[in-house]
Amino acid sequence: MKTRTNYTTYQSPQFSILSEDQKERIYNGMLRTLQYTGANVHHEGARELFKKAGCKVDGVRVYFPSEVITNALATVPPVTEIFPWDGTTEKKITVEKNRSYFGPGPTPPNFIDTETLERRKYLRKDASLVARVCDALPNMGYVQSLGSISDVTNGLADVYEFADMVRNTTTPIMSWSFDKEGCRDIHRMGIAMAGSEEEFRQRPNYIFYGEPISPLVSDYHAIDKCMYCAENRIPQVYSPCAIGGGTVPATHAGQLVVALSESMVGVIASQLISPGTCVIIGGVQSILDMQYSIYSYGAPELSLLSAAHTEVVHHCGLPMYSQSGCTDTKKMDMQSAMEASLSINAAMMSGANFVHDNGYTESGLTGDVFQTVLDDELISMARVIERGVEVNEETMAVEQINNVGPGGHYLYEDHTMNWFREHWRPTLMNRSSYEDWVQQGEKTLKDRVIEKTRDLRDNYEGPRAKVPARADEEIEKILKEAEERIKKEQPAGKK
Amino acid sequence: MSYDLGKITETLIQGKVDRLTELTQEAIDSNAEPAKILNEGLLPGMDNVGEKWKNGEMFMPEVLRCAKAMSKSMDILRPRLTEGELGSAGTLVIGTVAGDLHDIGKDLVGMMFEGAGYKVINIGIDQPNENFVNAAIEHKPDVLGMSALLTTTMPRMGEVVNSLKEAGIRDQITVMVGGAPVTEEYAQEIGADLYGANASTAVDVTREYFAKAKN
Ligand code: B12
Repeated sequence: MKTRTNYTTYQSPQFSILSEDQKERIYNGMLRTLQYTGANVHHEGARELFKKAGCKVDGVRVYFPSEVITNALATVPPVTEIFPWDGTTEKKITVEKNRSYFGPGPTPPNFIDTETLERRKYLRKDASLVARVCDALPNMGYVQSLGSISDVTNGLADVYEFADMVRNTTTPIMSWSFDKEGCRDIHRMGIAMAGSEEEFRQRPNYIFYGEPISPLVSDYHAIDKCMYCAENRIPQVYSPCAIGGGTVPATHAGQLVVALSESMVGVIASQLISPGTCVIIGGVQSILDMQYSIYSYGAPELSLLSAAHTEVVHHCGLPMYSQSGCTDTKKMDMQSAMEASLSINAAMMSGANFVHDNGYTESGLTGDVFQTVLDDELISMARVIERGVEVNEETMAVEQINNVGPGGHYLYEDHTMNWFREHWRPTLMNRSSYEDWVQQGEKTLKDRVIEKTRDLRDNYEGPRAKVPARADEEIEKILKEAEERIKKEQPAGKK
Repeated sequence: MSYDLGKITETLIQGKVDRLTELTQEAIDSNAEPAKILNEGLLPGMDNVGEKWKNGEMFMPEVLRCAKAMSKSMDILRPRLTEGELGSAGTLVIGTVAGDLHDIGKDLVGMMFEGAGYKVINIGIDQPNENFVNAAIEHKPDVLGMSALLTTTMPRMGEVVNSLKEAGIRDQITVMVGGAPVTEEYAQEIGADLYGANASTAVDVTREYFAKAKN
């Protein structure tokens, strides 16, 4: 008998933080909150939309009856695919249960210069560097910029970032913008890369990221962008940065209720506008450090909250945007490696769909691509654990065990030849002998991370040369038009 | 009736808002000098709280509770204090600049200033430049605080400084700026007087500044 009945050969170890009852209860907490407290929505069009769907509207406050919420959840797609723009499939993203994609994070003001290792403002050239480096890293499943560009026209950092990044990586990008106008420019570039609007709808090639405000507020631009994405079938994230003890309750369960509630506003808007459009929630979930008054990106609570949130979000049938690989460190050190490895492992075990902020340091104020390179290795290590142990006749190798018998070794066995390459190989962690290590210059992990990052920076070209001339021209044209637009307009953050 | 300044200090450190208000009122009813209540009762209490916070013995929510108690007590004392007696406990107008929705950092700064005895007028987030100028004209604050959390909104702070000049009131007001991406150099660049990296240093820096100005 070769086959077995209802037998699992593979089982990914996933930890479970919450019981079914607890998930249900938090879900109901969200229903109660949205029904009785409601949320402020600073957008007339959105309020109209909610009103028509059966919500009670009082000023800017919107109260959501539970059927409006469950209806929205019923139309969320179980699976969405996002495609690399070059027609290849290796880096395709499938947004569905049990698939995790890790990536950097968006928009810190500072960046660690890859040459001087000093912290400085994030510059335009950094966006393409981050894109290229991430393009080369096998464990970065999607890309964000790790900074907001300081040396372009004020109000256009979002558009320049996308223009430069999309041409330097085929890994799908998660973009952001100040307002709908930026969103539209980015979308035009996405379409330029896809070939046509029709093709974009068939094969979307980027994801958009927007944020409601804790507690329970959707500001004009956030919901405006959310609605634009829904209309144009752009897969999107709508998730807050909830600060435990600051903008949400200090208790984790309370934080989850608020974070889930404010995100749900975006889910409902997106599904009312375009049922079946992809919407992902989650966000930054951590605590306010009550001594130093910083939002902690290295706290163990970040891992716990994110993992618990993942379970609740999945319970709602939604994909989860989680967080890992980030730290409160000011400069690469043991703290950054430890905080990152803990959160990466927890995010992996939680089964979140997108996991951002790999490369965030100084509590989200400084992007560090060295950290991203280190995180890439940590992610691959965590994946080994997540893969679990395969158990079947071949892997149990009872036959081979009998062949070798007691004593002896397995180095000559065909079975070993067939299987040993499954073992994980380090690219940064050092396993050499002491003598070899001395001979090779006594390099520490930090030295090796710097070396690898600079090597990619200097020698990996990325897909820049493959960008179709027509798309390239179109992007330049969009940038020029954006400059014109900004002269006339008042973008968010530039009133 | 009698009063006990030590008790006032102690109650403040314990963050008992209502009790402190009562004790302050009782002290006044017993003819304690208001300046004495402030300088020998309240301020030593807040100094102690600040110290404990820095040492990790007390944490923000506790500190803010004490600041609230201080502020309530000051509401009673302020009308009874002369300008000179008020000393460093002036008025702060604070807000987040236009296009910027980051709320909590600015609130924290405001609350810490309340703790330092200031009257605080928090004008909110996403405030157009003219609202800062108008609030400055209306409330005549000692300190005008501006918060910006985005590199794109930071320029608003310099614009407000210029508008204050245009309105002819720049030299009557101490301008203080802060927010995660704001730096000391940037504050100087735009012509602000003070920069505070976080809520507690903001208070310290302001105190030092006024102490120097006096000498
Ligand atoms: C929470 C948060 C939000 C929340 C705010 C919710 C709320 N109720 O306030 C929401 C979701 C709204 C938000 C939105 C956005 N945010 Co935001 N946000 C943050 C985050 C994670 C934490 C801020 C915070 O509250 N910290 C805790 C408080 C206590 O600290 P604080 O604000 O720094 O304040 C202290 C000091 O700075 C100082 N201080 C502050 N103000 C003042 C004023 C004076 C006078 C003085 C003396 C001192 C002072 O004292 C305070 C207390 O110690 C920061 C990252 C970070 N680590 O700062 C990003 C961050 C500031 N946001 C960022 C961005 C990009 C955005 C968005 C554009 C994102 C988007 N794609 O839509 C939008 C913009 C919305 C808008 N128009 O304002 C970037 C800014 C990058 C840049 N180049 O400027 C940051 C750095 C995150 C990042 N790494 O990308 N954000």
